[in-house]
Amino acid sequence: MSGPLSGRVALVTGAGQGVGRGIALALASAGAAVVVAARRAETGEPVAAEIRDRGVDGVCVETDVSRRDDVERAVAATVAQLGGLDIVVHNAFSGRASTPHRLADVDEDLWTEFSQTAMWASLHCARAALPHLAGTARGRLILLTSPAGIEGSAAVPLYAAVKGAQRALAKSLAREWGPLAVTVNCLAPLAVSPALDRALVENPNLRPALEARTPLGRLGDPEHDIGSIAAFLAGDGAGYITGQTIVCNGGSFTGL
Amino acid sequence: MGGPVVFVSGADAGFGRALAAGMEERGARMADLGGVEALSRREGALAAFDAAAGAAGPADAVVHAAVDPAALEAGAVADLDDGRVEIVWERAMRATLFLMQAAHRHLAGRGGRIVLVTPTIALSGAAGLALYASAVEGQRLLAKSAARQWGSDGITVNCIAPSAALLGVDPAALGAVTLSPPALGSSGDVRADIAPVVDFLVGPAAHWVTGATISLDGGAWLTP
Repeated sequence: MSGPLSGRVALVTGAGQGVGRGIALALASAGAAVVVAARRAETGEPVAAEIRDRGVDGVCVETDVSRRDDVERAVAATVAQLGGLDIVVHNAFSGRASTPHRLADVDEDLWTEFSQTAMWASLHCARAALPHLAGTARGRLILLTSPAGIEGSAAVPLYAAVKGAQRALAKSLAREWGPLAVTVNCLAPLAVSPALDRALVENPNLRPALEARTPLGRLGDPEHDIGSIAAFLAGDGAGYITGQTIVCNGGSFTGL
Repeated sequence: MGGPVVFVSGADAGFGRALAAGMEERGARMADLGGVEALSRREGALAAFDAAAGAAGPADAVVHAAVDPAALEAGAVADLDDGRVEIVWERAMRATLFLMQAAHRHLAGRGGRIVLVTPTIALSGAAGLALYASAVEGQRLLAKSAARQWGSDGITVNCIAPSAALLGVDPAALGAVTLSPPALGSSGDVRADIAPVVDFLVGPAAHWVTGATISLDGGAWLTP
């Protein structure tokens, strides 16, 4: 099929579910071939099938983003099977993202899990992908961060810390890779996801609280509210945007 | 007597030493919490607080000024080896987390002030210093989140953001980030220009300031 991203190849981590799946589907609808990097093929394969249903190539590659060799293997498989790599979206994150914790006595293991899936995985993606992204003016790296990474969070402080760190990484990479014509940006969404769903079930007050503080009064849709912005950032029309965070959360946070 | 007791990390060298000297000149009693490596283990951070309390008594405020010299060396992300990530990102973040946890425990029931030193490259990003910038922004978000959780404990948490040059980053490595020269003509002097603001933040007049970042780079990076 033809679309603004026809002929481009994307790799989306954590694309087996939630926001990652929404981004993968939106990129596919814009014409990109997409590799679904998912921790488990059981979740990734059905998304790859959905992508193929939209008339583009879709491939699932089992990937643990906290492992550098896994990420390198996923990038190599993308290039080998789909002929290149133009767009990398690092969305995968620990399944415990929405687990409330107290900074005063939080366990070191939660830190390790968050650090590995946010910062280390971003670095694994950046280092493995750069040779393919550089020099074509089509190269894009998009990191999924969070409004919590800007305003801080009373509920999930370690999550806020690693998400903030990813923003500074994106800003720095934007400066390093500008001369290579690669753009690096962040998305900071509020959207339906399995992690948020679990938190909504555990805390019945959360949904009304979130909706009350959101001017648009609803939680975002992964494909149509978040994926659509990733597709825009991946396209030619966004080639002059770099080092930025696009907050897509229905307007509840308005200060950058 | 009468000045606040302030524990400061990294007081044996560079920025931390100059800050401690400037604070002492203004009447504070300072105790050193040591460097990043020891603080990056939970028991190390607790021991550092015990030692500082033994030397100076209970703290009114804790200032995290320590930085690993390795963080200041420029290098492209594409060329980073994992050992460097371990030191400049992982160890720095663990040190800050454990220092803050130990500070919370030390200040529990009394309240107090925590101040982190977070140079403005966290806000601007910096080519060649991506890991350091990321660690600093991670620390700034720990501070904001701690401010939200610990306000009810009477603990305020704030950041001061000097130019990275004052922390020892080679100004040449900051490159294009310094396109706008500091409005005040230089990056400033830790003892003369930074210490008075930290003194204010740990003092009684700043009791309503929390979760804030005060830029102290002489007016170079003017956000937000």
